[in-house]
Amino acid sequence: MTHRSRSAFTPIRLLGLAIGAVFAGPAVFVVWRTLRLGATLPETLSEIPAPLWRTVQLAVLVSATTAVIGTGLAWLTMRTNLPLRRAWRVLLVLPLVLPSFVGAAAFIAGLSPGGIIHDALGLVGVSPPRRFRGLGASWLVLSAFTYPYVLLPVMARLVSLRTSLEESGRLLGFTATQVFVRITLPQLKPAILGGSLLVFLYTVSEFGAVQLLGYDTLTRVIYSTRLTNRALSFAAATVLLILALGIVALERSHRGVVAPDDRAATKPAPPVRLGWRVIPALAVCTFVAAIGLIVPLLSLGTWARRGLADGRVSLSEMADPALSTATVAVTAAVLAVLVVLPIAVASIRRPHRLSQMSSVSVVAGFAIPGLVIALSLATLTLNTPVFNRFYQTMALLIVAYIIHFGSQALAGTETAVRGVPAGLRESSKLLEPRRGRRALRIDMPLMRPGMAAAGGLVMLSTLKELPITLLLSPIGFSTLATDIWASYEEGFYAATGLASLVLVAMSAVLTWLLVLRPSEAVSS
Amino acid sequence: MASTPHTAPADPVEPPGDEQAGAIAPPIIGASVAIDAVTVTYDSPGGLGHTVGAVNNATLDVPAGSILALLGPSGCGKTSLLRAIAGLERPTHGTITIGDRCVSSDDTWVHPERRNVGMVFQDGALFPHLTVTDNIAFGLRGSSLKLSRRERSARVGEMLDLVDLAGLGDRYPGTLSGGQQQRVALARSLAPQPSVLLLDEPFSALDAALRIQVRAEVARIVRDVSVTTIFVTHDQDEAFVLGDRVAVLRNGYIEQVGTPDQLYRQPSTRWVAGFVGEANLVRGQVDTSSGDAAMAHTLLGPVPITAPLTVGSEGELDILVRPEQVELQPGDGALVTNVEYYGHDVRYELQLDDGSILAARTKSSKLHERGARVCVRFDGPATEAWPAAGAATAATLLTP
Repeated sequence: MTHRSRSAFTPIRLLGLAIGAVFAGPAVFVVWRTLRLGATLPETLSEIPAPLWRTVQLAVLVSATTAVIGTGLAWLTMRTNLPLRRAWRVLLVLPLVLPSFVGAAAFIAGLSPGGIIHDALGLVGVSPPRRFRGLGASWLVLSAFTYPYVLLPVMARLVSLRTSLEESGRLLGFTATQVFVRITLPQLKPAILGGSLLVFLYTVSEFGAVQLLGYDTLTRVIYSTRLTNRALSFAAATVLLILALGIVALERSHRGVVAPDDRAATKPAPPVRLGWRVIPALAVCTFVAAIGLIVPLLSLGTWARRGLADGRVSLSEMADPALSTATVAVTAAVLAVLVVLPIAVASIRRPHRLSQMSSVSVVAGFAIPGLVIALSLATLTLNTPVFNRFYQTMALLIVAYIIHFGSQALAGTETAVRGVPAGLRESSKLLEPRRGRRALRIDMPLMRPGMAAAGGLVMLSTLKELPITLLLSPIGFSTLATDIWASYEEGFYAATGLASLVLVAMSAVLTWLLVLRPSEAVSS
Repeated sequence: MASTPHTAPADPVEPPGDEQAGAIAPPIIGASVAIDAVTVTYDSPGGLGHTVGAVNNATLDVPAGSILALLGPSGCGKTSLLRAIAGLERPTHGTITIGDRCVSSDDTWVHPERRNVGMVFQDGALFPHLTVTDNIAFGLRGSSLKLSRRERSARVGEMLDLVDLAGLGDRYPGTLSGGQQQRVALARSLAPQPSVLLLDEPFSALDAALRIQVRAEVARIVRDVSVTTIFVTHDQDEAFVLGDRVAVLRNGYIEQVGTPDQLYRQPSTRWVAGFVGEANLVRGQVDTSSGDAAMAHTLLGPVPITAPLTVGSEGELDILVRPEQVELQPGDGALVTNVEYYGHDVRYELQLDDGSILAARTKSSKLHERGARVCVRFDGPATEAWPAAGAATAATLLTP
């Protein structure tokens, strides 16, 4: 079968290439538009360095902070006798359910007169800071909500790490601390680097939180100049794109050539006894959970409760945006999985350079900031005769989500395709000659869990997405995210609080299903 | 034995600079290990505060430079005992002494990194982020040897020669075969000149053919360097081939300690008899009529027994008869039900008249066909016997 000579351009590969091209489209368009600026390009670029420097500063600070917090908390909750460590494992992952712009809004609302942080500080006699904005505020907020991106992979690695490595280190004459530095940390390095990379990307692409906190990064430039100075907007988008793709390439090249050691631990490591250090350890965990989860939720809850009490907001008002949020999220999830399925099938079942290309194009999408995709698609449809009927349509919004989150769908779908190994497909061919029945009876049931997980991740990300929704939503269409944004800009904190809580509740359910349940299964 | 030079005799060509390497690396002086009334317990994984006994009141002496095998089925506590010697588990009771230093007792605890003990794990436990050279050199930095950079690299080269892996120093563990990985692990644990070497089922991850080869090589190396060696295995062949002495563990208790031959010929219990090799327990009666020689009457004729024990209520005994002690002749008394031809010998399964099964091994020169009737006789020196237990059958077959 494999010896039969045939064209490299099989239908499935061609389909894959076409899909890959669509995924690469927005980025290519942004770069092309920027290069067309010609003579005005140098002048435009002269305005970039300041916001670029601020973006890099913030991203480096946040990724370094989350690398330390994430690794430290992973070790505390997985490897020590920290009291209630099972509960901490769940609690410390939960800040993931708060979109960072919601977190930023919660802090600002909490610090404003009448907010709980403001009042609490007043009670202990500390005067609340007059302004909560700029680098420091952005750093605190983004670190508090993104460290789980490091925590989760490091926790998983610590569970699977063979204890015999560390024990060998001890027997070769090193103390526990030396062994952690020389053996354990190098083993955790890929997980820490991978997690920090996600945080870095998240931070450079972050729009909502930095906009609220008044910190002028590249995304803020793109957003504020998109109508008035389109050249600058596109130039900033191109620089942001290069920054994002550059950091991914850097991490890939530093990941190392050593083959990953996939052999799982045969027995759990005995917990390290903390002794007196249990007090500072508990203090750190409490502080992180307070900043990332409890204070923001209390702040939002207080405003929502007040609004509900005096009748300015009601839960029934939330029904519509909640329903439309769920609808776009489910639609985007289902379509994203279906769109990447041909690429997954082509690249797993018959690896070939052509299918590799399309899969790279989809994966690279995760590095392209949502705001860049939104800007590109908005301009493209608005100014192109054939496409302009799509401007501000639901279809375009969904397409943007799929391009943005396609890489998340692809990873899970590839796992699903791998779940039907070649031997199984061959033996099912011998037993059931009808292709359609095979797909129904064999492939689908085996692939369903992986595809559901992939779709779930896309759904979770879509729920929390802001800039694409903001720029591309049809007129009059509002989701929870856009409602939170609009009500905050009007200073209507009660509505911000309530909509945020509904959004958090929805994403909490999904996070539990997709992230916590599987990781519990790993750790128990 | 303790002064055997520390070089690889299998290597016919002396590598250049070997003399210099030998000068900085004196042979390892193995230390004796004394385990006295050691008990190791674990927290039960299910309940709070419950403990599970892994090793109960174990006492063992391992002379300097000898090889001891800890043999037992999985879950018998052999690995826990090994880990207690290494300092990876803390015993709840008892003392462990290495050389003349107490490393573990109720009020003494020496951390594993200070015990000068080397250990090879089941999975090799090579550090995947370090090359073979760096893996072997790892322990030379932590130890109190205080070697210069040059001495370290000389020592690594010497260890690579010892395990016959010269030239692979720059490779990463992930690129080595399973057997090579175990040899690197051995080199790494021997490099800091430990006084005791511990091996935790070091060959169980290898496939059968490779296992025998690597096992022979490891045996050669540890005897060359004359390090005191304690290794854990569930494989009786491995224990007998490698061990000067073997300690058999069961349910956390040491059942018997002895040379392989003692265990095979004079097992202290029926369980040990069956665990260390195939055994027939043949029912017999003590012959009180004959004089001082203890003799028993059995279906296999008279069988000499080592010591007349307290005999069961009806004077009946279960007598240990190894398959190779059964002699077969054309005749009557048993039916050949199965023949397994191995070349060097043949294993028969015979059905006795009461339906019980007897195993026999004979040279392959005289073959009996399946379905043939044969006469069975005992042929061997005095053997062990225990008061009869269980159903009254002529023979009981115990297999490992």
